[in-house]
Amino acid sequence: MSSEVLNKFVRRLRTLFKRRELDRDLGDEVAFHLAMRERKNLDTGMNPEDARHAARRSFGNVTQATQKSRALWTFETFEGFFQDVRFGARMLRKNPGFTAVAILTLALGIGANSAIFSVINSVLLQRLPFADPDRLVRIYATQNTPANLPVSGEDYFDWQKLAQSFESMSIYGPPQSYNASGAGDPETISVDRTEANFFSLLGIQPQVGRAFGQGEDRKGNNQVAILSAGFAARHFGNAGEALGKVVRLDFQPYTVIGVMPGKFNYPEAVDAWIPLDMSLEVLGRRGNYSYRALARLKRGVTLAQARADMAAVASNLAREFPVTNANEGTRVIPFKEVLTGESRPQLLVLLGTVALVLLVACTNVANLLLARATGRQREMALRTALGASQSRLLRQLLTEGVLLSFAGGAVGLTGAWWLVKFAQSAKQLPLPRQNPIQLDPIVLLFTICACLLVGVLFGLAPALEASRMEQSEQLRSSAQSIAGTSGWRLMLRNALVVAEVATSLALLVGAGLLLRTFAHMRNADIGVRTQHILTAAVVLPEAKYQAIPDRREFYDRLLERVQHIPGVDAAALAEQIPLEGSHGNTANLPGVADSLHGGLSVNVNFVSPDYFRLFGLSFLSGRGFTPEEIDRAYEAGRKSDEYWSAGGQTLNHVVPEWSSFAIINRTMARQLWPNEDAVGKVFINNLTQPVTVVGVVADEKYGGIREPVNAEQYFPVTAELRNHWYPPNIVVRTAIEPQSVLSGIRRALQGLDSELSLFRVRTMEQVISDNMQDTTLQTVLLGTFAALGLVLAAVGLYGVMAYLVTQRTHEIGLRMALGAQQRDILRLVLGRGSKLAVLGVAVGLAGSLVLTRLLSQELFGVKATDPATFAAVSLLLIFVALLASFIPARRASRVDPLVALRYE
Amino acid sequence: MKPRDNPGDLLQGTLDLLILKALARGAMHGYGVAEWIHQTSDEILRVEEGALYPALHRLELRGLLDSEWGFSDNNRRAKYYSLTAAGRKQLSEETEFWRRMSGAVARILQTA
Repeated sequence: MSSEVLNKFVRRLRTLFKRRELDRDLGDEVAFHLAMRERKNLDTGMNPEDARHAARRSFGNVTQATQKSRALWTFETFEGFFQDVRFGARMLRKNPGFTAVAILTLALGIGANSAIFSVINSVLLQRLPFADPDRLVRIYATQNTPANLPVSGEDYFDWQKLAQSFESMSIYGPPQSYNASGAGDPETISVDRTEANFFSLLGIQPQVGRAFGQGEDRKGNNQVAILSAGFAARHFGNAGEALGKVVRLDFQPYTVIGVMPGKFNYPEAVDAWIPLDMSLEVLGRRGNYSYRALARLKRGVTLAQARADMAAVASNLAREFPVTNANEGTRVIPFKEVLTGESRPQLLVLLGTVALVLLVACTNVANLLLARATGRQREMALRTALGASQSRLLRQLLTEGVLLSFAGGAVGLTGAWWLVKFAQSAKQLPLPRQNPIQLDPIVLLFTICACLLVGVLFGLAPALEASRMEQSEQLRSSAQSIAGTSGWRLMLRNALVVAEVATSLALLVGAGLLLRTFAHMRNADIGVRTQHILTAAVVLPEAKYQAIPDRREFYDRLLERVQHIPGVDAAALAEQIPLEGSHGNTANLPGVADSLHGGLSVNVNFVSPDYFRLFGLSFLSGRGFTPEEIDRAYEAGRKSDEYWSAGGQTLNHVVPEWSSFAIINRTMARQLWPNEDAVGKVFINNLTQPVTVVGVVADEKYGGIREPVNAEQYFPVTAELRNHWYPPNIVVRTAIEPQSVLSGIRRALQGLDSELSLFRVRTMEQVISDNMQDTTLQTVLLGTFAALGLVLAAVGLYGVMAYLVTQRTHEIGLRMALGAQQRDILRLVLGRGSKLAVLGVAVGLAGSLVLTRLLSQELFGVKATDPATFAAVSLLLIFVALLASFIPARRASRVDPLVALRYE
Repeated sequence: MKPRDNPGDLLQGTLDLLILKALARGAMHGYGVAEWIHQTSDEILRVEEGALYPALHRLELRGLLDSEWGFSDNNRRAKYYSLTAAGRKQLSEETEFWRRMSGAVARILQTA
């Protein structure tokens, strides 16, 4: 039987090419048959006229008969589909206004969705560019607190020996600033030091060259480097050129053995990777927590198993080495979670917003389509009478709906493409950059699905309506019902408009709250002066400035030179800049020191004496550091540095020479000595080091504008001159525009050492902007979407009102003929519109009160239920709604009664 | 025995059978087939033209009939259909099936 089917199919295919001929043949066949019948009738005595009619009648419905035959050689479904599409396109072309509005609306809704979705896709959903990323984990150390801490080298070696759950582990440092020279302009770059197996564990290959080989992380073999694509491009032109060249990092030569692909960006935007020295002495002993650990789970091992395994290992080590590891635990976190953790809630808020916008857009178009559908009832009835089946009609309407939505989707996708390109290039956006953000097949698929869904929904609404009514009933329908001015259709349309207005209100309220947050943050008092202050980091490479005295001398001379630049009011060195501090200690009162209690969590900064004057931090009691204290701090720092460099263990006892002095802030003074003057008092720093308070200053905001003020202690900068992770910043306050002294500072620096450069030069205002990045982004995005939603709601309201007016022209003419003034008509229509708007606002307010609670985490200085914002937004919306209703209202009032009465 | 696609096809199947039989005697055009069925059934069966032509075309698509344009006896252009070998085979099978069917129905109807 299958051969028959095959033959049949082949024959059918062949008929595809002979269609016209077959049609003609069929026509001829039928004509012949009719002629024969006619002749027979003539023979039986009928007159020619009757003969022909009789012949035709007996043939039956010629069209239907030929249809059945034609169905055999046409692929009816396909042809029907193309016919539907053509017809649908024609219908849309005939109503350009409606079509344009609908397409634009859908374009906005779908386009915005696609753009945001592609961002979310690349950040949250997409697979990381690593091999088998689900098996990658980060391992942190912990100390009985929720904080995830760095790892010590010696612990890491023990983990490798004892843990059972991992296929491989790798250790690497946090990125550090190095001076890059020897290839083009010298530059301060970010470099990461890793174990040799780092790249192979991640499963990433360089685009040219190779990754580190085994043994290249031992002294003598580790003068090799792998560059990032960006760095290679900047200094060598392209990746291939860089291979084999020598680049000097902190004045040490490194041979370039590979260049990573452009999209590989781990950890945070480093420019180059070099191998660690994996010997224990250099890596650091237990108690020296400086590194990060990465691991790959063995196949079949679950996260829970790995966690239990590491917990056992940690308690093992705690038993063996109680001095250092007594409270040390581990935490195993999947890699993906680490990378996306911070941005997830923000992105989800965005997703919610965009979904709302799409809802508004769809509501609009649904309304428009419904309005049009009621006008097409007659057409549908006629087609049914002509023999169209229900399914055919349904298919037609669905096709039109889908056509519309795909047109909108196409336009929207183009817009989304632009948006995404912008998002990718805008460096300020705080998004994890592991994967480039782009419109990829998944996004395309998402868009197509959205289009289909929307289109089908829209096609279905009028289609279901059309199929519900009886044929004759449709043809005979009263003018009122067709006009859609009564009945459930009207209610549905009204409900849709109300929904639109409500959604728009919700969006506007959210945007309004964020806008106020933004304003508050901008003007927030962070405790320090912000005008005319310039900051920059200066990195002293290890190799050239090995000895502590050399470093001190350099910084002293630099500071002196900068202080003498004309225009500079004050200059200081500081390890932490306000708003960007991230260095913490613990402080206890003497006698209360207890390792189980942790003590007060205190921020730390190392500053030169002029820091306080520069930033306008007044002394509430006590004084600044004296030169002797600065020297003593220097000595203590030097000895400490010697101790650690020689591989010292964590200490549990006090070394008297290391007592030091600190200036604390008001919050810390109040917390430790609530009712007394803190000057002269002693506290214990990090459980071991007694510190005497010499002064108390006003509070500054340490970690960010949003963060509350915390306890803070200041030490002289001389106490910590070797610190790769927090290179000292040089800060100047100028009387004039800060940028103007920048060249002076550069010259001062170059004068001391021509190979050095300034790093991260920013004014204090820029620091504030950086700190507000998240909020800025959110405000801009939500504001844009809210504006979008407002426009869509206005258009929707306008559309419905306009349609209403058109449909009720007859009635309006009647009213005017019966004596109604223009004013009355105006009031009639405006009244209708404003009723809808007010209802929408009411519903929107209720919904917003609930929804804005989701935003409360992102707000600053304003409550989630801020009445002023709610009121302002409501008024705005009502005003816009009135405006939208006004135009058709005016048109209605201008109707000529004579014309209107004739209108049917 | 060829299985039926669905019971509603019985009528269509019957028409197909009649057409095949009509053409067993030689090539004929569509009008001729209709007339032959009408005459041979003592004017009991009248074929709807609206059903006849689709049936003819369907049978041709299935490969049971061949068609050729020729001239009728009054020199009009007409399409003549004829049985193919497969058509003949189908005819004998269908005839056998029909005989069995109608026999069975008759037997049932005969019982009191």
